[in-house]
Amino acid sequence: MAAIHDPVTFEIIQNSLAAVSDEMFAAMRKTAMSAIIYEVLDMGTGITDAVGEIASSGAGIPAFVGVLDKSVKAILKRHPLESIKPGDLFATNDPFYGGVTHLNDVILAMPVFAGDTIIAWTANIAHWNDMGGMVPGGMSTDAYELFQEGLRLPAVKLISEGVPNQALMDVMVVNSRLPDFLKGDMWAGIAAARLGDRRLKELATKYGRDTFIAAMANFMDYGEQRTLAGLRALPKGTYSFAEEQDDGLIYKVSIEITEDKFIVDLTDNPDQVKGPTNASVDGVMIAAQMALKAVTDPSLTANGGTFRPIVLKTRHGSVFDPKEPAAHGFYYEVEMRVFDVMLRCLAQAMPDHMAAGHFASICGTVIGGPHPDTGRFFTIVEPQMGGWGARKGRDGNSAIFSGFHGETFNCPAEIAEARYGLDVRCLELNPLPGGEGQWRGGRGIRLDYVARADNNFLTVGYSRARILPWGVAGGRDGTGNYVEVIRTSGEVTKHAFATGVVLNTGDVVRVQTSCGAGYGPPSERAPESIRADLLDGYLTPERAEEVYGFKP
Amino acid sequence: MAASLRVATDVGGTFTDLVTFSIDADGRQVIRTAKADTTPPNFERGVLDVMAKAGVAPSDVAFFAHGTTVVINALTERRGVKTGLVTTRGFRDILEIARGNRPDFFNLAYDKPEPFVPRHLRLEIGGRMTYRGQESEALDLSELDAIIAGFRAHGVEAIAVCLLHAYANPAHEQAVAEQLRVLMPEASVVASHQITREWREYERTNTTVLSAYVQPIAEAYLNGLKDAMVAGGFAGQLYVMQSNCGVDSLEATSRIPITMVESGPASGFWGAAELGRLIGEPNVLALDIGGTTAKCSLIENAQVRIKTDYWIERSRETSGYPVMVPVVDLVEIGNGGGSIAWVDEYTRLHVGPRSAGAMPGPASYGRGGTKATTTDANLALGRIDPNYFCGGTITADMTAVNTSLDELAQKLGVDRIEAARGIVRIANNNMVNALKLVSLNRGYDPRDFTLVAFGGGGAMHAVALATELGCPKVVIPRGASVFSAWGMVMSDLRRDYFVTRLIGGGETAPAEISALVAEVAANARQQFAAENVSADQLKLVALLKCRYQNQEHSVEVDVTVGSFDAAAHAALTAKFHDMYEREYTYRLDAPVEVVGLHMVASAEVGKLELGKLPVTGALLASAVKGRRQVDYATDGVHDATIYDSEKLEPGMSFTGPAIIEDPGTTIVIHPGNAVAIDPYGNTIITLRAGEN
Repeated sequence: MAAIHDPVTFEIIQNSLAAVSDEMFAAMRKTAMSAIIYEVLDMGTGITDAVGEIASSGAGIPAFVGVLDKSVKAILKRHPLESIKPGDLFATNDPFYGGVTHLNDVILAMPVFAGDTIIAWTANIAHWNDMGGMVPGGMSTDAYELFQEGLRLPAVKLISEGVPNQALMDVMVVNSRLPDFLKGDMWAGIAAARLGDRRLKELATKYGRDTFIAAMANFMDYGEQRTLAGLRALPKGTYSFAEEQDDGLIYKVSIEITEDKFIVDLTDNPDQVKGPTNASVDGVMIAAQMALKAVTDPSLTANGGTFRPIVLKTRHGSVFDPKEPAAHGFYYEVEMRVFDVMLRCLAQAMPDHMAAGHFASICGTVIGGPHPDTGRFFTIVEPQMGGWGARKGRDGNSAIFSGFHGETFNCPAEIAEARYGLDVRCLELNPLPGGEGQWRGGRGIRLDYVARADNNFLTVGYSRARILPWGVAGGRDGTGNYVEVIRTSGEVTKHAFATGVVLNTGDVVRVQTSCGAGYGPPSERAPESIRADLLDGYLTPERAEEVYGFKP
Repeated sequence: MAASLRVATDVGGTFTDLVTFSIDADGRQVIRTAKADTTPPNFERGVLDVMAKAGVAPSDVAFFAHGTTVVINALTERRGVKTGLVTTRGFRDILEIARGNRPDFFNLAYDKPEPFVPRHLRLEIGGRMTYRGQESEALDLSELDAIIAGFRAHGVEAIAVCLLHAYANPAHEQAVAEQLRVLMPEASVVASHQITREWREYERTNTTVLSAYVQPIAEAYLNGLKDAMVAGGFAGQLYVMQSNCGVDSLEATSRIPITMVESGPASGFWGAAELGRLIGEPNVLALDIGGTTAKCSLIENAQVRIKTDYWIERSRETSGYPVMVPVVDLVEIGNGGGSIAWVDEYTRLHVGPRSAGAMPGPASYGRGGTKATTTDANLALGRIDPNYFCGGTITADMTAVNTSLDELAQKLGVDRIEAARGIVRIANNNMVNALKLVSLNRGYDPRDFTLVAFGGGGAMHAVALATELGCPKVVIPRGASVFSAWGMVMSDLRRDYFVTRLIGGGETAPAEISALVAEVAANARQQFAAENVSADQLKLVALLKCRYQNQEHSVEVDVTVGSFDAAAHAALTAKFHDMYEREYTYRLDAPVEVVGLHMVASAEVGKLELGKLPVTGALLASAVKGRRQVDYATDGVHDATIYDSEKLEPGMSFTGPAIIEDPGTTIVIHPGNAVAIDPYGNTIITLRAGEN
């Protein structure tokens, strides 16, 4: 068929790119070995153009949409074009080499050739359970260098012209505490990238290479148009905000909105920290991209063009642009925090359109130990759900993953008990008071894990433990995110950032995530809403009287 | 011909349809159809009306299959009864917490779907089972007194019981449900183990809740239907279409009506599987295009694929609600003949998901519709004959068609015909992507499948879709527009049992597998005996769900129902490795474990014996109605021969470009396609020369 540069053909190719991303996602999800990939869906797939601009994403996590492009660009930077051959496949996990996040997230990327020209890349990212490092699972709050967090893969060729680099694969396998999982997850990712490669070649053959490339370019322009339309509707100006964090650092952001630019200035921020709470500049860019999406065009269309209007300014050596070998294990809390500060900053400009503060933490929870029934070592690596903030006219959502998550699913208690050999004593809405307002915040969760064996360990990295979700327009602040360890002796300790807390038989890990903050003064809440909350037990009569002045 | 008719009735939101099938003296299958208004709340009246219209007395009917949207409509319109939930202490919020996911992931103004039972009607009881089905904390039934008082105070009419790990051991659930039935006889009670024996507490709880929510409504509906039929002299068994492509008895359906939730599309896919068996096409991509939606499913080795991860109201924008019952694996998109084409603010053309519906309908209906639909585009391109629109029953309003297309063309900056082509290409692309979801996304290559297309719009698009996907062949069944009803009267009495059980790869595995299969088989035999199906009539297929240790997603490996020894276990493992590798391109040396069983129990309840059609020896020319210019979008404009489907007979063959016109549908045949009419009157279209 002759090359057709008509809009319908473009549309069909663009739809096909989305279909290929989805197909890669489905294939990878089915074959991955680790629960955090196939169950929690801590993974994403995507297609970039030849130079690494994201064209289509099958990610289930919005914070992963903007990762793969940065990885491909890092690969292109490190490998001369003439050294990249058909059948090659690259791996990176290092935030200083396009890995963006932390060492557990491994990105596999494959160039797609039409003849001798690269026309696109297929890529995927997934959280691999154990890449080595100083503690099982790799993430330790005690880490102060990247070296302690696992094996670094600096955008290297894992497969060369279809032939696996066995030496590299062997190194990866022996560095993992869970080598079978690593192999299973790796091959799932390789198969998905190859599948995408086949599909894109078919598309380029069918429509012609030039049409294929033109359709991708057209799609990027469309993404940009959508963002620009959104920007035009926003109040122009420069807005600044500073917020203290749980660790006492002050994060500052200044956002300038113009007709065609979204300028995020993070230069005036603390030096990088010794611990694992730094985020790469690529990671911080993702926070800016998500903030832009939220206020301009929250639709699912997102590509390189969508993000063109962003200008990001950082200072090298700061917590948002650290130097090697800064530790990154808990980068996501930093990324989440800076995203939240951006939203709070923007809320000043558009209070009617932004929600009050939500629990805003991944609440990464790692529990490991021997399974009492099988003797095998298990590791839970999971995020937690929490409460979202109220917005004008609407109470907040209860028990939903953070704004950084999307198609992330919790692990059913029935599966957790079988797989992990822990008892799940309860999973319910957090009963703690907070987040009241004309519209109230959603409830966080209370999740109790009970150890059934000695020598389990717990690692957590929660933010918004001390500095609470912010109320808007008179709404009450929400509650905090933390874990309580309740010993059989009755002793209770509270943790937000901790590594290797030992748990013995009968000890309880109580996860408590925040209730989102309220919007508007509690005195304005409709009496029927208060009555409904009382009936449903979201509110106690005492609290109703105290906060709402409500007497039945 | 007393009591020889096979009748399928289908109660939809607007119309109640009836199709009867019989075989005439020449062996020709005779199909009659009738349509009447749906008559809520006394739906049986509409059924009797439509039978009267067709001249069918209940006493003439040998086999009566009934499909209804009453369950799905009650759910989507939130018209169920006030429902309470009894659940394990510490887990009453599971229904509200759900899984925490958010498909519309850039949207921070997302609203999580509301649970079907509010928190004050979700009550907890103590007692625990472990994942191995052992009691770890005793049940105290005395706690039910307070629970019942709470339910009564709020006028609860139906109660769902779902306790943790009841899939592994339902003893606590059974005890709770029995006690509730005794102490609160005015409420209907259903426990999760009656519906499913699979793990995942949110999915199971929600499924139980939805079944309870619609149970009183469905039971009243089905009893009304039965009473009306019996009063009219019907003496046969009344079967109700299920979501698993089978039928079940009215009594069983009344207890667990949620199994009807997606019964609408299921019968057509079963029909496609049956047709495939008849004509030697075991691998089928089945496509049903109606007025508002297109639905598709994949059939491999003549088997429909039944799964239990169905969700209602789920989309890219919202997470929806899980229904963990056996449902045919299907993808449905808002893209049918009546789907509206529109241009967005970025000058991009879209088709659907909004539909013009029955009123006003497509512009061409001349009932005031001003928006161009897929049907209108097909008319403008000459693919549908304006003078034989809807079998000649409607005069196509071509002025309205042209006006509606011109509006789009102007926005797109193209001419009318280019706009119409764009609509057809976009609509086709939407359907291609749906077909990819059931094939490529499940690891199947569409080039290995024959596309069987039906419904009013299937035949119009089938060739273009098959070409795009690389399917070598298209089959348009005889009577394509009522093919779903045909599937309904061909259905088996069928139940799919899904049971979660973890069995490792150790020495005890063969005995454990043996016990699992025997237990489920015994249960199936007992249940079918209650439906008067003897053990020798019952067909059991056991599919073990196997996986590599710690993987979640399993492969179903079939095993024989009977003794299962170490050799059988070794064979199972070997087969698993092979099947896994075929689907996923690699194998692991990891241990293989069993995670559960899927058993299909079915019994034939009397099928239509389809005979070959008589051949009169008429010449092909006698079936030619004429010629006209037809626009095949990217395949160009061609002078096509128009055939009358009712005059085509077995053995006739010709090549495209052509159009076959049937009162219910139009078959579009592209240039170069080879067409043959098979002995049963089906239209077989071979896409590529030299292949079949």
